[in-house]
Amino acid sequence: MLEAEGLMVFYENMLALNNVAIRCAENQVVGVFGANSAGKSTLMYTLSGIMEDIRRKAQMAGGERITVMGRITYRGQDITNFKPSRRARLGIVLCPERRRIFKESSVLENLRIGAYLASAAQARETIEYVFDIFPALKKLKKRIGGFLSGGEQQMLAIGRALMAQPKILLLDEPLLGLSPLMQAELVRATRQIRDEMHISIIVTEQYARPVMPIVDYAFILENGAAVMDGRREELMDNPDVRSAYFGVQE
Amino acid sequence: MDILVYGTINSVSLALYALGFALVYGTSRLPNFAHGALFVLAGFITWFFLNSLGLPYPVAIVLAMLVTAVIGALIYQFILVRVRGMEISEIIASYALGLAILEGLRWGGFKGMSYTLPVFIEGSFAVAGISVDYQRLLVVLIGAAVVGMLWLFTHFTRIGLALRGMAQDERAAMMLGIDSDRMAVVAMGFGSGLAALAAVLLLPLGNIVVESGYNILILAIAVCIVGGLGSWMGAVLAAFLIGFAQILTVVYLGSHYQMVVALLAIILTLILKPSGLFGRQKELEERV
Repeated sequence: MLEAEGLMVFYENMLALNNVAIRCAENQVVGVFGANSAGKSTLMYTLSGIMEDIRRKAQMAGGERITVMGRITYRGQDITNFKPSRRARLGIVLCPERRRIFKESSVLENLRIGAYLASAAQARETIEYVFDIFPALKKLKKRIGGFLSGGEQQMLAIGRALMAQPKILLLDEPLLGLSPLMQAELVRATRQIRDEMHISIIVTEQYARPVMPIVDYAFILENGAAVMDGRREELMDNPDVRSAYFGVQE
Repeated sequence: MDILVYGTINSVSLALYALGFALVYGTSRLPNFAHGALFVLAGFITWFFLNSLGLPYPVAIVLAMLVTAVIGALIYQFILVRVRGMEISEIIASYALGLAILEGLRWGGFKGMSYTLPVFIEGSFAVAGISVDYQRLLVVLIGAAVVGMLWLFTHFTRIGLALRGMAQDERAAMMLGIDSDRMAVVAMGFGSGLAALAAVLLLPLGNIVVESGYNILILAIAVCIVGGLGSWMGAVLAAFLIGFAQILTVVYLGSHYQMVVALLAIILTLILKPSGLFGRQKELEERV
């Protein structure tokens, strides 16, 4: 469904992504695991097109020189040069690292801003659905975004991304800094989104264990390069992967 | 009592000056320093439609607002988009454009005191013994209506909500499919249209003079800084604060201190509460 090959991203001379190839099939959950600065967010920004905006603004301001190479195809269409808004219209929606919800708007308003691409009927349905998978949000409908807890903000960010009617959802470190209980809740919701809405998902995490149960296929990034990939079972059997990303000592 | 009446009129006028500026800055973080020039330009466009082309007054007004909105949108589309995100360059570029428009008008012969627009309805009526003409009543009524409509627009329409999203986090809005460049064009169009609306409402109360472009820019900026840059509800309240302060100085000190009040308001706000009266959310972030 979404396929990228030969992705290279340079910040000045620093190589952030080194010849990364990644793909996600229809209705699949793909995990991307790697340590800090392995290139996870850069990958997500490149797939969603935000990198193009970052590059353009940096160039205009005469700042950092960013170079992006490679090819991204979505359902057979080359989208490498599409603007983020155009990719979102096609159904590629990023739920960014650190959530970035609209802090001055209420929960409901966040969702309604997210419904920019949705028809009125779709928006109503999706709001119902979001409150269905995140019942906690329904009680906080009128609460201002900035006053939500981290977990609530993450639920809202995912809900807001769903409002844009994605076909493939990019979740960048959704579990960052959350309690194990909240993590379990979000993993459950993610699985539900895939099963019920038939939305493909690419999810990045530093620590693979909490999301591994719902991941079909995973890539491991190290220093900007995809050093390993495979189906869940294959990676679980690999002792190096187990110790580095699952915290299992043998 | 006359302080209350004139204070209200003055405050609503200030709010009208400032709303366009606040709307553009609030949604696309673009300080449009050509705002005052667009105001004056709209006045002359109306005058031109009315006197040179002989169009009926209402048609001239609507056309002038549309033309000004399009000019604003074009200014963004072709010039300001190139310096987007660099605040100093945005200020310099838009101010230069404003200068070019105003001085171009002066060079084109639009100077002196001979250019005026007729009032909408002649006559006046009395409020509590003070005579108020209908044009000033219309200013207050339409001003209130504009504020109300802006509120509805930004809370209940798709484009309005998208603008609010963009104001809070531009990239997050992009991720949701909102085209930030197109939205900024829309915002500039709306902001310029609002400047034109203010012009056709307020210019019939005096002459159309090029110099007022500079004053209006300063007043608009004063109102927006006091209200908290980017918050247009804050701007409306700040307009009342400065509006009444101005009328009080006129009554007790003399009319030539009017401009000082606006500038003093900027300085005091920047010293005491740099985020403005309604920069509450930002303050929250600064603390965290």
